Amino acid sequence: MAEPPAEPRRAFLATLTAALGAVAGALALVPGLGFLAGPLKRGTIHGADQPLRVASDHEVKPGKPVRVTAVGQRDDAWLRLDHVTLGSCWLVRATEIAPVRAFSTVCPHLGCGVDFNEKTGKFDCPCHASSFDLEGRCLSGPSPRGLDELDVRTDGRDLLVRYQRFRNGSPKKEPIG
Amino acid sequence: MSVSPTPVAPPPESPRPASGRAWLEERLGLPGLESAILGGQMPGGASLWRALGSVAAGLFAVEAVTGIFLALFYAPSVTTAWASVAYIQDQLPLGWFVRGLHSFGSSALVVVAGLHLLQVLVFGAYRRPRELNWMLGLALFGLTALFALSGYLLPWDQKGYWAKLVEATIAGSAPVVGVAVQQIIQGGSAFGNLTLTHAYAVHALVLPAAFVVFLVLHIYLYRKHGPTPKWSLSPEQIATRTVAAWPHQAVRNAGLGTFALLIVTAAVVAHHGAPLESPADPTSSYVARPEWYALPLFQLRMYFEGPLEIVATMVIPGILTTLLLALPFLDRGRTNRPSDRPRVMVAIGLSVAALGALSTISLAKDAHDPAFAKGRAEEKSRGETARKLALKGISAEGGLAVFRNDPLNHARELWGEHCGGCHGLSGTGGDKGPELKGYNSRAWIRGFLENPDGPLTMGPAKLDKGMKPVQGTSEEMDALVEMVYAQTGAPDADVARAARGHDLVPQKDCDSCHEIDAEGENTGPNLKGRGTLSWVTAVIKDAGHGRLFGEKNKMPKFEAKLTPAEIDDLARFVVAQKTAP
Repeated sequence: MAEPPAEPRRAFLATLTAALGAVAGALALVPGLGFLAGPLKRGTIHGADQPLRVASDHEVKPGKPVRVTAVGQRDDAWLRLDHVTLGSCWLVRATEIAPVRAFSTVCPHLGCGVDFNEKTGKFDCPCHASSFDLEGRCLSGPSPRGLDELDVRTDGRDLLVRYQRFRNGSPKKEPIG
Repeated sequence: MSVSPTPVAPPPESPRPASGRAWLEERLGLPGLESAILGGQMPGGASLWRALGSVAAGLFAVEAVTGIFLALFYAPSVTTAWASVAYIQDQLPLGWFVRGLHSFGSSALVVVAGLHLLQVLVFGAYRRPRELNWMLGLALFGLTALFALSGYLLPWDQKGYWAKLVEATIAGSAPVVGVAVQQIIQGGSAFGNLTLTHAYAVHALVLPAAFVVFLVLHIYLYRKHGPTPKWSLSPEQIATRTVAAWPHQAVRNAGLGTFALLIVTAAVVAHHGAPLESPADPTSSYVARPEWYALPLFQLRMYFEGPLEIVATMVIPGILTTLLLALPFLDRGRTNRPSDRPRVMVAIGLSVAALGALSTISLAKDAHDPAFAKGRAEEKSRGETARKLALKGISAEGGLAVFRNDPLNHARELWGEHCGGCHGLSGTGGDKGPELKGYNSRAWIRGFLENPDGPLTMGPAKLDKGMKPVQGTSEEMDALVEMVYAQTGAPDADVARAARGHDLVPQKDCDSCHEIDAEGENTGPNLKGRGTLSWVTAVIKDAGHGRLFGEKNKMPKFEAKLTPAEIDDLARFVVAQKTAP
């Protein structure tokens, strides 16, 4: 059998092998990467958008923040739950006649749950010691912004909160999900 | 608090390497690595036959890659397995494709590994000194089968559940250890969460690890002994035709591998991914069939009944496996030439023919079985319904609960909660309201007109002054029934007869209580559009409206108790009773 010129043929075959390998590799990998990136395009967790009853109006006394949980419906990938804890918030009333304000318990720094310190009368984050006053303003610590205020309204008897989450670690209050 | 910078010693001056290759050479020893990756020489030349093993290894790599992607989204438990697979299949972008590649790729792997096995048999490549590598290859084939068995169950759909149930029961029929083996496979005395976690761990951790170890050994021994040259070549021919594996054999491997993968891709696209049947339902009677490559065993079992079943499920497969493993020691042929190994060749031929025949018989039998076709058609529609309903989200109870997303099923639940206490639905009459079985069918309307205060009509409601029975000739009754029936919007109403009924209204004194127009109110319900969806919706919302039952009404208002969507589901359910069997 006569050998064709060895070197160009060899180089051609090597390139062809690499090209075929690349096609096969791409077929296996690329769709998977697209699929992995799926959650970037479309959220996988959706919470209830409507106001949720969290407490009775009279339960919130002036200067005594109350921690309440928002329970509602949530879609989490394939799962749909009708009554699940979406998160919690602090209800604060400044004076007897002032309306109630609601602040998410999620610290805007890195997402720990802020607690109320009864001695100092401030909200403290247990993780990195950010401190907030009763109006949610950041007094000290690494938090880039004040506590996130949530929409709250009353139907005369009950308090209804629209529970939302916001992107942490940024000075801007930006809803997510 | 401040931290003083720690002084860092500067790295020792070193000459820049001449090239990246030299840099790597110094650290890795390239020639050795290169030949380890690229392979050495191919005595007797490159061939497509010799590509089969590489293609099988490549398909395994595809399974590994797609399997990792799937594992990132899969959740193994009775309540989440089907739900997460349905999510992958129908909601994630290209999820169907990745899952399809994994599923069809596994079939391709069985085919290619089978061809590789045949090639090794025909070339005599199992013979001395390659006996151990032959056994390693068989072990890899066995692992492939275990991959298929364990992977099949993971979607927890009807197909996987029932196939696996049968297999576990077969394992349980083994003498002495059977029951223990079955319980270990199942993770208990019955199928449940632990069956899935076990199958998943085996499929995604144990088998891949074992497969990789065996595959590395397999390739190592293959490289050590080199490929078996074709029997017809003389030593001189082998020497002159020898080429370097890279790129001469490599291009064949890559070409055949890409070709196989393209076929798999075409199959995936043509079928829009792998099938996903409805969620496993232990109460159903499912026509279980194994995957195509297990059909011969399935069919073989048909010939051994009762206590003999074990012959088909264990004895024959066991003997064949042992014979295959022992083949290098049984084969006493002088050379690799097939004609020198007639018994081996005949055995291979018979085995392949037997596998083909058993599969064909099984397929042909099912193809001519109307019960099988009916079972498949039912499952197809059930599976499609389940997946459509799953798009609305699946409750924590898991896959089977999707059927409750179905408006009619949902309505049935609402009915039990809010309506069934007063109304009947099974034909036995209600406790406080009319029976709604066949509600607004001609028969129901006739029954009502003839006896408005009967046990199946308004009787249980104990109205103060109810409707008086309508009396007339049978022709008059037919016309009145048709008139009321036509109000429901039924497409099969007889228009002329209904019109005659309409003419009878003043004569029969119906209009002293009933209006038949858009707005009119009277002591009885307005008959215009009675029984339509919007009318039933209005009744559920507030039956005491002046246009409906007015002051005589005893039914609660559901307007504030149920959501508009719930009322709509219920109304559709009630309307559907007219034509319900």
